[in-house]
Amino acid sequence: MANPPRIWLSNETPAKDEIVRVRAQVVHIMESGLRLDAAGAPIPRDTLTRFEARLGETLVLDWLPETAISQNPYIEFTFKARESAVLKMTWTDQHGVLAEAGRQITLS
Amino acid sequence: MIKSPHFTRRKLLTAAPSLALLTGIGGAALAAPEGLTSETLLMSRQGKGPRIVICGGGWGGLSAARHLREELPEAEIILLERNPIFWSCPMSNKWLIDVVDTAFLTQDLLRPAQKWGYSLVQCEVTNIDRAAKTVHTSKGKVDYDFLILAGGIRNAYEAWFGEDRQAAEYTRQNFGSAYIPNSEHLALKNKIHNFKGGTIVMTLPPPPHRCPPSPYERACVMAWHFKVNKIPAKILILDPKPQIAPIGAGYKAAFEELYPDIITHVPNAKVKEVDPYNKRIMTEAGDFDFDDAVFMPPHQASDMVWYADLIGKGEDGRPTGWADMDPRFFTARGDDSVYIIGDSMGAISPHFGHYPKSGHVANYIGRIVAGNIGQRVRGEDVVAELPDNLCYMLVNGDPQEAISVEFTYAVGQDGLVHQTQIDIDVRTPDLMAEDFVWIDGMFNDFLR
Amino acid sequence: MTSCAELNRRQVMIMGTAMGAALGVSPLLGTAAAAQSSTAAARADTAESDRIAADFIGAADAVSEGLALDLPALGDNPSAVPVRVHVTEAITDDSWCEELIVLAERNPMPLACRFRFSQASGAADVAVRLRLIETMHVRALARMKDGRVFDTRGQITVAAGGCGL
Ligand SMILES: Cc1cc2nc3c(=O)[nH]c(=O)nc-3n(C[C@H](O)[C@H](O)[C@H](O)COP(=O)(O)OP(=O)(O)OC[C@H]3O[C@@H](n4cnc5c(N)ncnc54)[C@H](O)[C@@H]3O)c2cc1C
Repeated sequence: MANPPRIWLSNETPAKDEIVRVRAQVVHIMESGLRLDAAGAPIPRDTLTRFEARLGETLVLDWLPETAISQNPYIEFTFKARESAVLKMTWTDQHGVLAEAGRQITLS
Repeated sequence: MIKSPHFTRRKLLTAAPSLALLTGIGGAALAAPEGLTSETLLMSRQGKGPRIVICGGGWGGLSAARHLREELPEAEIILLERNPIFWSCPMSNKWLIDVVDTAFLTQDLLRPAQKWGYSLVQCEVTNIDRAAKTVHTSKGKVDYDFLILAGGIRNAYEAWFGEDRQAAEYTRQNFGSAYIPNSEHLALKNKIHNFKGGTIVMTLPPPPHRCPPSPYERACVMAWHFKVNKIPAKILILDPKPQIAPIGAGYKAAFEELYPDIITHVPNAKVKEVDPYNKRIMTEAGDFDFDDAVFMPPHQASDMVWYADLIGKGEDGRPTGWADMDPRFFTARGDDSVYIIGDSMGAISPHFGHYPKSGHVANYIGRIVAGNIGQRVRGEDVVAELPDNLCYMLVNGDPQEAISVEFTYAVGQDGLVHQTQIDIDVRTPDLMAEDFVWIDGMFNDFLR
Repeated sequence: MTSCAELNRRQVMIMGTAMGAALGVSPLLGTAAAAQSSTAAARADTAESDRIAADFIGAADAVSEGLALDLPALGDNPSAVPVRVHVTEAITDDSWCEELIVLAERNPMPLACRFRFSQASGAADVAVRLRLIETMHVRALARMKDGRVFDTRGQITVAAGGCGL
């Protein structure tokens, strides 16, 4: 893809149990399925269906976007840094996994 | 016809030390005594190919020159640029806080001319006579088969000061915008680094203007400098628009999270009056006193587009301030021997107005136009092509984090150009790393 | 740190693609711009939104507290209206938010998105951007581990102009 996920973390070396803020954005058309092409035919829906964030193996957030979510979906969330591990993020749309990214979280 | 004695002398000059003329070093001295009249020829015709004159050796002009040489090995390509060296506006905000050094922004203009093989003449374009297909310059006149106008922008201080040139010049000297390659950039850097505290007011031009996201980037880097050096400064961004755009959310987050005590964004602040002497500015969002200022007046197409009488007219019959041109082929309306590229270009589509006035687009259009002229000269079909755009804007100095905006274009069923905008407003270091890759690619394309 | 090595590799790839873009390889997204019209229409009432909310609430008694909804005073860009929702009471290992939904009441498809958290999350604080077809109420509901449901609504005025739906 032309544009990889963009990820911002408030702190990559948090204290144990500190709340870490995450911002993440991917480029995605978020075609609502409601629009018509130039010939008047409906353009099929093509949206992000799921975003998952895991600290190590543990799920910290599951997000299921629908058509009201803007193009190039932006998600901001917080989680408790319970352990040093990779924060793994996965974006999925109806074609499958769109993007994956990881950021090392190391407790200080 | 008067046979002047310097005719033969000039002929000698053009025949032999053309390098001296090209470089501008010594050329003026040799030709000076009796050589310069309004009829002086800048360069006599050489070779058998068409002559293409490019006015302005910035992002657009340099790109066109390089790619024209590849398109048309036989053509005579003459680039006219008033500045002695290249100064890059892209990255110049980052340079204000030493993310890059001066050597990064300033580049040798002679090397690309030698490398790609075109003639570079350092001179000021002073008039354009389209009927005679002739450009007049501070070093003589030159005729053309194709003309490319790539002069960038001019600061339209008239909007604020009318005919009061003193006020305009005073404002430029004291509160320059540093939006055109010239000394104002150095003055601005000095100003920032010597600022002891107080309120700095920054005006944004009304759209369309050069590099829409960069005034906010400017505010961020200035604020970052004041923050780390603990200078009690406030920056008031007086924005004629109702909101920050583009990358509004990313900038808003940066202003609020990184510089909450320094930056204030004032929307709907259309400038009504500027009193540079008493340091006061009146806007539709209120009146403000300031200790110092970075005043960006409205932008317009460069002077040369006005000289060529190619400024468009709006429905109200008043000049639009921008070139009147074909939005797909970039030729002047009614004169297809003239092309306008870069920031001087007029509106492209009723859907979005102008292409973003960026170095990226100037380079892209320079390449497209070079290709189109090549097609015409070779007698091929001329293919209309679309650019894209990409801009990375630094919002944090440490860590160096940037946000970005990307535009893509497509032709719709209505035959008009449509724009898709992608704002990336999560600030990240990787966007800053990509910015370096981007400018490297650009400089390699037309400059190095 | 294998993950870091992976990231570096990806960065190199990013740079490769950025170069591609710089040299004129256009991404595919442009095609979207060529669309001509949309069948999207604002809903006349909140019935569908109410039905989704009722489903979410189930047998619980929803209370209009416990959840904060931050909306801008004016959604000046209807295609990206920032919305933040967070549970205001402390999230602990015994009491956490299981699920949260955001409703754009008058949008053609009112359910904007769903969030699921776990005990490990240790938080319930999220922000997204919505495209809103007209001025409307945005509603958010959260269900806690113990079955309590929080329900909150906020009015948002959006500027005229396409929302991209
Ligand atoms: C602070 C700042 C940051 C920016 N950041 C970015 C960025 O990150 N990415 C991006 O893509 N763009 C950026 N830009 C925009 C970019 O600089 C311009 O869009 C680009 O330079 C336009 O190219 P141009 O060829 O039209 O004009 P210019 O590059 O300005 O070139 C015009 C040239 O014409 C010459 N000229 C003008 N009149 C005459 C005359 N009468 N005779 C002889 N020569 C003349 C000038 O000296 C100049 O060299 C930025 C601009 C600024 C000010």
